[in-house]
Amino acid sequence: MTRGLLIDLARCRGCGSCVTACREINRLPLDAPAERLDARTWTFLDHRAGLTVKRQCMHCLDPACASVCPVGAMHRSPDGPVVYDETLCMGCRYCMIACPFGVPRYEWDSREPRVRKCILCWEQRVRNGEKPACAAVCPAGAIAFGERQDLVDRARQRLRERPDDYVDHIYGLREAGGTSVLYLSPVPFAALGFPRVQEDRRYPGMTWAILEKMPAGWTVSGALLVGLWWLTGRREVMARVERGELSVDEAMQLAPPLAGGAGREEE
Amino acid sequence: MMKLVRLFGRLTLWKLVLGLLLIAGAYAAAVRFTQGLGAATNLSDAYPWGLWIGFDVLVGVGVAAGGFVIAATVHVFHMERYAAIARPALLTAFLGYLMVILAVLFDLGRPTRIWHPLVFWNPRSVMFLIGWCEMLYAIVLALEFSPLLFEKLGWTRPLRAVRKLMGPLVILGVILSVTHQSSLGSLYVIAPDKLHPLWYSGMLPVLFLVSAVAAGLAMTMFESCMSSRAFGRRLEGDLLRGLARAVVVVQAVYLVLRANDLLYRGALHYAFEATPEAVLFWGEIGLGSALPMVLLASRRVRYSNSGLFFAATLTVMGFIVHRLNVAVTGMAGWTGASYFPSVLEMTVTVSLVALGVALFGLAGRWLPVFPPAREERVPAWMIRRRPAAGGPFLTRPALFGLWVMVAVGAVGVAATGGLPALGGGRDAAEVAVAAAGGEESPRPVSADGELTLPPPWLFPAGEESPGPVRFDHRDHVDAGELGCRRCHPGLFLFTRSGAPAEGEIDADRAHDGDLCAACHDGETAFNTYDDCTLCHVDSDD
Repeated sequence: MTRGLLIDLARCRGCGSCVTACREINRLPLDAPAERLDARTWTFLDHRAGLTVKRQCMHCLDPACASVCPVGAMHRSPDGPVVYDETLCMGCRYCMIACPFGVPRYEWDSREPRVRKCILCWEQRVRNGEKPACAAVCPAGAIAFGERQDLVDRARQRLRERPDDYVDHIYGLREAGGTSVLYLSPVPFAALGFPRVQEDRRYPGMTWAILEKMPAGWTVSGALLVGLWWLTGRREVMARVERGELSVDEAMQLAPPLAGGAGREEE
Repeated sequence: MMKLVRLFGRLTLWKLVLGLLLIAGAYAAAVRFTQGLGAATNLSDAYPWGLWIGFDVLVGVGVAAGGFVIAATVHVFHMERYAAIARPALLTAFLGYLMVILAVLFDLGRPTRIWHPLVFWNPRSVMFLIGWCEMLYAIVLALEFSPLLFEKLGWTRPLRAVRKLMGPLVILGVILSVTHQSSLGSLYVIAPDKLHPLWYSGMLPVLFLVSAVAAGLAMTMFESCMSSRAFGRRLEGDLLRGLARAVVVVQAVYLVLRANDLLYRGALHYAFEATPEAVLFWGEIGLGSALPMVLLASRRVRYSNSGLFFAATLTVMGFIVHRLNVAVTGMAGWTGASYFPSVLEMTVTVSLVALGVALFGLAGRWLPVFPPAREERVPAWMIRRRPAAGGPFLTRPALFGLWVMVAVGAVGVAATGGLPALGGGRDAAEVAVAAAGGEESPRPVSADGELTLPPPWLFPAGEESPGPVRFDHRDHVDAGELGCRRCHPGLFLFTRSGAPAEGEIDADRAHDGDLCAACHDGETAFNTYDDCTLCHVDSDD
């Protein structure tokens, strides 16, 4: 039940309806320049190599931003969109460091700042069974909304039927272990400024590989340290008893668990 | 007035400076908390983390590592002669953690929600673990520190209770601290594409831990030297020499791990390229790790107070550069933007350090931080040659060495161009590169995993030109379709720098002639007259 977008850059005519629709539905200022993602621009058209490239959150299948959020403010809804609970966020901005696509933006000028990014119209539309605003308004049919698997099939069909019109790559199929937003392009994605990210590799797994070893590490190091503490302490007490600085009784008083061994050997 | 004098002692120049810094810090805090991060800092969407995370948190936690290392030495491994420096080391760590918590309050967008990780859990997050470690270890440190307070107040019963618990408490502290130190490195493990390969590694947690142990030990040495001066105490020479030997071993382990890691990932060649990253890498590794290691390995340096002080200072400085490299330098390539902290950010950082120093001074005055003088272990050969291992540490050679370091550092930073805010006069071309570079990397990037491409190049605008032309190899190369031979050497010469050869390109040949227009003819690629802005970067942009 993962739903997402298929954005076909060969079909995009660069009209900008999606940008305006996004701003309307999310109540963002309509007149701000749309040249880069920022707190008030969740999607914009990037002019590259003669094409217009719709930029937005990729909605990863296993999003780095959600895995790193210490309070779970950023999370993936069961339907696919990666959404944000502003009442939980404490503003550590780790999501911005972790996102391999560099998407989340911050309200730097606010005194109660929030992280801002496309939420695939989850709250306003997708939750109610409607298409995201950008997909609903696109006059060129460049933004398709649906089940991710259907979108992948559709993308493959286009690549098969019109191989000359596209580079043979569905961006988002394998990037960062797969994203809900997929792109087709007539030009290599590297030339369009799409970031090079790890393929077939889910980012949260990188830190989880470390975190999952922690409990074992704590147990082993705890046992080791307690052992060393007991051993060196016992040796110290025994040395003092031997030097005649302590009587056995005093040693027992000082540290019963240590002196157990010391006492026996004295006897 | 008399009361104040009793509390703080006589007013000296240093106390005046500290006081002024604290006042400046209070002003900075007022600006930060009334006007928000945007007004107070140079942080941006391209640089969400800056000086406060890079220095105050990463360095602050790191140099506090002396606390857990010395505590474990004394209470877990029962090497009890180190008890003489355990309390100052503990105090340094405790104050370090308090300053880190303050810095986090400055840095969080919503500081009043700092408690959220306690209630809203996400155990998949490294940051969640760090939050818990930070809080729990601060509590453990307070408990480890509490005997000083109980002794002062003469509360014997709680004192006995804490003493009995000291072993297990310190063990808990070691586990929390090791987790915390390594997790700060784990933070960046999720950013393999963003952090420069000289610093990114799956081994970051181990590297962070090992380097923090070296820096924590060095910080204890540094702090001992400073306290001996401030409180007129004799230097614990034999103990500091023990720490110095430990620093040598830990630095050696660190350097081997680091070299191994760079070789294993095939990233060593980045250290030999003429980039700002390579300069800062060598500054960190050469001057901050290898040099102090070699110095401290020499017996002559270890038995000289100024030698100990100088090498410890170098180690701490190298550690600072490493953490700033990870937090700031290493991110520059990916974001393409530059960051230099605002005056206000620096004010907060400096005044937090000043607050720590002031609290250390007060504690040193009023609590039994320093034990009564003890007999120093001096080897026989030394007694024969020199009467005592005392003497000042801030001698002329040490000061001279430090000044040379500062000068080298300043030249290094200036050479890397990492100081746009101070330089002021960057020329238009550079600014345009930085602006146009929006999301692109000036660092060579592999187009197909093997090919290394030169950085983007900006052709200055000629007369009547709508703006400088930005050329990026990455827009022109892809595996399979557009290889090197399409353009080189037929159209353009290969050059070592990646910039065009002198006088090779002019506007006519680019637009109409045999160069750009060879492909940009409206068929192979868009025509050179289609849309000026496709190539000419708007210089106002």
